[in-house]
Amino acid sequence: MENKSNNKIIIEVKNLTKSFNETMVLNDINFKLFEGESLAIIGASGSGKSVLLKNIIGLLSPDKGSIKINNLEMVGLKRSVKEKILLDLGITFQHGALFDSLQNWENIVFKVKNKEKLTDKDAKELALSIIKRLGLNSEILDLYPSEISGGMQKRVAIARAICGNPKVLLFDEPTSGLDPVTGSLIDKLIKSAVKTVGGSAITITHDMASVCKVADKVILIDKQTISWSGTPKEMLKTDNAQIKDFIKSTNPKLFI
Amino acid sequence: MNLINSIFKICGTIGQKFLKFLSNIGHFFIFFITAIFWIFRPPWYFKKIFYQIIDIGYFSLPVVGLTTFFSGMVLALQTYNGFSELNNETTVARVVLTSITRELGPVLTGLMVAGRIGAKMAAEIATMRVTEQIDALGTLGTRPMQYLIAPKIIASLICIPVLVLLGNTIGILGGYIIAIFKLEFNPSIYLYATVEYLQWIDIIQGTVKAAIFGLIISMVSCYFGFNATKGAEGVGYATTASVVISSVMILTSTYIITALFFG
Repeated sequence: MENKSNNKIIIEVKNLTKSFNETMVLNDINFKLFEGESLAIIGASGSGKSVLLKNIIGLLSPDKGSIKINNLEMVGLKRSVKEKILLDLGITFQHGALFDSLQNWENIVFKVKNKEKLTDKDAKELALSIIKRLGLNSEILDLYPSEISGGMQKRVAIARAICGNPKVLLFDEPTSGLDPVTGSLIDKLIKSAVKTVGGSAITITHDMASVCKVADKVILIDKQTISWSGTPKEMLKTDNAQIKDFIKSTNPKLFI
Repeated sequence: MNLINSIFKICGTIGQKFLKFLSNIGHFFIFFITAIFWIFRPPWYFKKIFYQIIDIGYFSLPVVGLTTFFSGMVLALQTYNGFSELNNETTVARVVLTSITRELGPVLTGLMVAGRIGAKMAAEIATMRVTEQIDALGTLGTRPMQYLIAPKIIASLICIPVLVLLGNTIGILGGYIIAIFKLEFNPSIYLYATVEYLQWIDIIQGTVKAAIFGLIISMVSCYFGFNATKGAEGVGYATTASVVISSVMILTSTYIITALFFG
């Protein structure tokens, strides 16, 4: 777990607590994401995984605690500075969150086109190069998100996240709703995206096969807090009942 | 004792509702100021402003034209029936002109646009909110207020005054058609009376009203859309609330503006 301790800390979450009205969702969450590391966050539905991600990217504010990205405190940070930091992050949302009114290629290059002032032609070529890596064909580029399948939408959302090679990738259930072959392709892509740019990734998932493929470190969120953490190998041998149940449901040994 | 408790309970509920109402007004005011701030800050998304102008201006023209055209016709007919002793070209022309330019043109246009565009804006933004598209925008280096809201407000401020001017013209034309072809008035006298009674203050007042209605429709619709929650139900609520509140505010503000100009 501490083998990356000599590396730079990319994201550090300390004593994070978040409630909605009277309901506590996260309580005293602590973890570090090191440079070049891929972290998987697992947990039952409604355990607060997505809430944690939204706190990290500043869409929600924690009640207590600290979130540092590249050693910069995000809680209470000026919005304009926060936005600049977020530009270096690649994020996918649980349901894709593609812009309905834009064609797929415009969705994919949305951030990069604005940032680097690309022409439509160059931007479209960039989008094409990315979707090829995701096993999509060029025909979907000119279509709107509503005109492609849910699985394709998921891949377009991932394409949007990795466009511009951000150093930090945050994926919220990237393989849910995908067939096993495409899911496996996405896992490989996440792994290679982290390796290629020497970046770091946080992946929220229920898919234990996916965890084994993409993660260097795993944390389990249960009863509002991190109830277990370790490597994927340790995960397969753990006595933690919830992890055992997760493993039983997918038998990741088949996929390693 | 029970009665006192019940009274306290009722007062508490009323108080809570009132505080919630004040809180909503406060939120709307903050939204309003923020939106105005982003209207004047670059970058301006000209492509989006252009699309909004087409949507609000060009595509609203048929419904606004039809509404004001028939209103002008009805007005001419009712004026003729209502003022039977004074039936002449000048009376009908004057009533049609004044009613259309001062009230009916701006108010009917405002209500039609609130129904057509306000509902669309609220539904579009609310859907983007509940499907996390607005959250995604923020993480992609784009400010939602600047990218989504500002173009809609700018386009409304440009289009609705133009729509009102066109609607006024069409409404007066409707009155003219009835006056000439049904009431068999003299076209030259009717036209002369129309031009003679046309006053700059009426046109200015109508345009000011239209600009304020544009601001009301876009702000209210964007506010409800932007703050939508609870999935599909939230989208429905945002759409209904935006149309109802825009319409009420249009009817309230038209009185205030008229009182300021002619009171």
